[in-house]
Amino acid sequence: MVLSGKRLRQLSAVVIALALLAACGGPSASSGASGTPHSGGTLAIGIESEVDVLDPQRAGGWVSWRVNRQMFEPLVDEDLSKPSAQAAVPALRPGLATSWELSPDGTVYTFHIRPNVKFHDGTPLDAAAVEFNIRRMWDKSFQYYDAKAAGQTNFVWQPLKSIATPDPMTLQLTMKQPFEPFLRLLSQGGNGSTGIMSPASIKQYGNDNVGEHPVGTGPFKFVDRVRGQRITLARNDDYWGTKPYLDKVVFRPLPDPSSRVASLRANEVDMIAVPPPDSVASLQQSGFQVSEGAPPHVWFLSFNFNDPIMKNKLVRQAINLAIDRQGMATNLLKDTVKPAYDVQAPANAAYVANTEAYGYNPDKAKQLLAQAGYPNGFSTVMMTSVDGSGQIIPVPMAEYIQQNLAKVGIQIQLQTTEWISYLSKWAQGTPPGVGWAQQSWGMTTPYWLYIVTSSSLKAPNGPNVGGYSNPQLDQVMQQAMTATTEAGAVEKWKEANRIVTDDAAIAPIVNDKAPYILSSKVHGFVSPSEEWYDLNTVWLS
Amino acid sequence: MVGFLVRRLLSTVLVLIGVSILVFLIMQLVPGDPVRSMLGQAATAERVTEVRHQLGLDRPLIVQYLDWILGVLHGDLGQSLTLSQPVSSILFPKLGNTMILAGGSLLICLVIGVPLGMVAARRQYSVVDRGSMFVALGGASVPVYWAGLVIINIFALKLGWFPTSGMYDTRNPGGFEDVLVHLVLPSVAAAVVPTAVVARMARGSMVEALHADHVQMLRASGVPERLVIWKHTLRNILPPVVNIVGLQAGYLLGGVIFVEVVFNWPGLGGQLYTSITAGDMPMIQAGVLFIALVFVVVNLVTDVAVALLDPRTRKEA
Repeated sequence: MVLSGKRLRQLSAVVIALALLAACGGPSASSGASGTPHSGGTLAIGIESEVDVLDPQRAGGWVSWRVNRQMFEPLVDEDLSKPSAQAAVPALRPGLATSWELSPDGTVYTFHIRPNVKFHDGTPLDAAAVEFNIRRMWDKSFQYYDAKAAGQTNFVWQPLKSIATPDPMTLQLTMKQPFEPFLRLLSQGGNGSTGIMSPASIKQYGNDNVGEHPVGTGPFKFVDRVRGQRITLARNDDYWGTKPYLDKVVFRPLPDPSSRVASLRANEVDMIAVPPPDSVASLQQSGFQVSEGAPPHVWFLSFNFNDPIMKNKLVRQAINLAIDRQGMATNLLKDTVKPAYDVQAPANAAYVANTEAYGYNPDKAKQLLAQAGYPNGFSTVMMTSVDGSGQIIPVPMAEYIQQNLAKVGIQIQLQTTEWISYLSKWAQGTPPGVGWAQQSWGMTTPYWLYIVTSSSLKAPNGPNVGGYSNPQLDQVMQQAMTATTEAGAVEKWKEANRIVTDDAAIAPIVNDKAPYILSSKVHGFVSPSEEWYDLNTVWLS
Repeated sequence: MVGFLVRRLLSTVLVLIGVSILVFLIMQLVPGDPVRSMLGQAATAERVTEVRHQLGLDRPLIVQYLDWILGVLHGDLGQSLTLSQPVSSILFPKLGNTMILAGGSLLICLVIGVPLGMVAARRQYSVVDRGSMFVALGGASVPVYWAGLVIINIFALKLGWFPTSGMYDTRNPGGFEDVLVHLVLPSVAAAVVPTAVVARMARGSMVEALHADHVQMLRASGVPERLVIWKHTLRNILPPVVNIVGLQAGYLLGGVIFVEVVFNWPGLGGQLYTSITAGDMPMIQAGVLFIALVFVVVNLVTDVAVALLDPRTRKEA
């Protein structure tokens, strides 16, 4: 195409205007909302890896829940329409239950199922359908019980004692004891989810095959999947809630980071996840938008309590003080993350700003080491993976920590493994001789702390991989879980944070901002305080 | 010829069984539990045991292997552990895609490599010869990954002639034409090294053939050069060229795996990588078997072709 001088000037003007707009906007939590939203168009999203099964109860990983979430809904959901800046923790909102009550003793939940909701296959939603789904994840004697779904959603249903459906649109769940985190856990995804599937589809295709024919109630319905190429969803015109603007959404797995950037630049996709940190600035200069949030993500170290050196609290505190979190965030990760100073991410009601306990202070670290009897430091091993879900760039990050600790005399040897082997090793517990193991995780419910620090969940029985045990903490967390009000629970969870922080049982390092890069024609995308997003508000110009 | 074929086919079966045992044993040495990766960080030991039992992973190794191989002999490649789908339904489409890519590359390699070598040999030590062989040497030395990125940058991003990656358009996936447009860049990238190798080989054989006594004799007898080349020389360079093309076809099956990654081509390579990282044994077994099978078949076809072209090898066989 040959451009005349006038055309060229017009074009330059537009480009400059766009660049200026992008520059003024800076990283925004929600993408530009100029113009009037209108229906139509196909949004193509370049995602960082292939998606697990499209069976929301079985599927692991955030990548999969980001897709499944568009088709499946839980009873209680999170309001993801607000960016992190406006809602540090997403508020709970009714999902497939219009309302619910909790008995005064905190053990019986009564859910009123949303009327007039149909699954994508036309079958109606009622209490029996929800019961069917719960039994699939929980009741070993149920015909459609699925061990994989049960394994993933273990922590949600563990306290459940019985299910009843007093009338076709009412569901009663009785717990063994009060379990305050329950409602929030219903809204979570990533380790399975409680997204409700059409019982008819499970009966028709069976537990193993239903993931090839996903049928939910969500704002989008399944069109097709070509493994390695695309998953296509289309707007559900019969959706009970606010119908999306988009006609279609295509999720395209592009595992190679440079391919992801190239596809975005070539307009083959409209937005990409996990841009390489080095590419963000240049993409912004080219007129692309950056959307960042503050999801409940913590990249953290679990200290090995079976190691004679790590048993010493002063040593653990010294290590915490010797790590330059801000330096790592700015220099290594180009501000795609925030330094983490609390064991809980800011997207958590029990978050406590702990900057003092974990602020960078190598001098004080040296003092503590001397006090602990290691004036010349010591050597130990750090376990991490080379890749994996939410791990960002684990090896360079571990090397950064290695350099930091060398400055206070602690020599660490890195032991790196690829993700699946790592996950197995990690779950077995930190072996003798290893100082600490690294992991990335987090949830909007403070209950997550229980999962990684409770003495009843010491590895290999659970994810407390460092073997940390503090009876006082266990007691406080028990009180938090059995509290009958949210406020009461949050107070107890904050107390638990303080105990874990004081013990320096875990070293939080950074919180991911989960940046997305969007083309200038994408509007209304919101990065909420979650690892996933909704697409109801997105429209294309 | 028939005896030769039967012997080769029998040895093929033995090779495949050997490969399957080897892969099975190697995968047992790899640390990591597929069920752990399936159930994620939150899985408790109790749930992991439950799913391991359901998948039959708690049985003795020998039982697991025999169960699998019996299934294969009955045409059943088993179920993927992580996808809960029949292995064949996942792998066959991917194998097809890899064959499309390898086929495209092989075509480029034949159409460009062989004539290039012949032209260079005809004008030995000329600018054309030195130039083309220099390029070929360069091509043979370029890492596929790097070549792929350069090609994407120039032809997809700068010039915008072709899509950057994938097999179909993202928003409006089409049919054959759509695949063809997406096929160009990856097959060129995958063809770079084999084309260079074939060109150099074709040149070498051609040079040798042109200096053969019978060619000197024909030329001295005044036979037109056209006939000397097309009738008396070409036939003689075919066996080595077919041999090297066969080898390159095998190489391509391995080489396209990198190209698949760079161009996000949904082939066997990428699937195999995913399966290996997830410890999905039935998928890995079947994927490796496919590759070994194709490799063995390509070799067999090459040997038969060479035997047909060159009676001397037939006698030896």
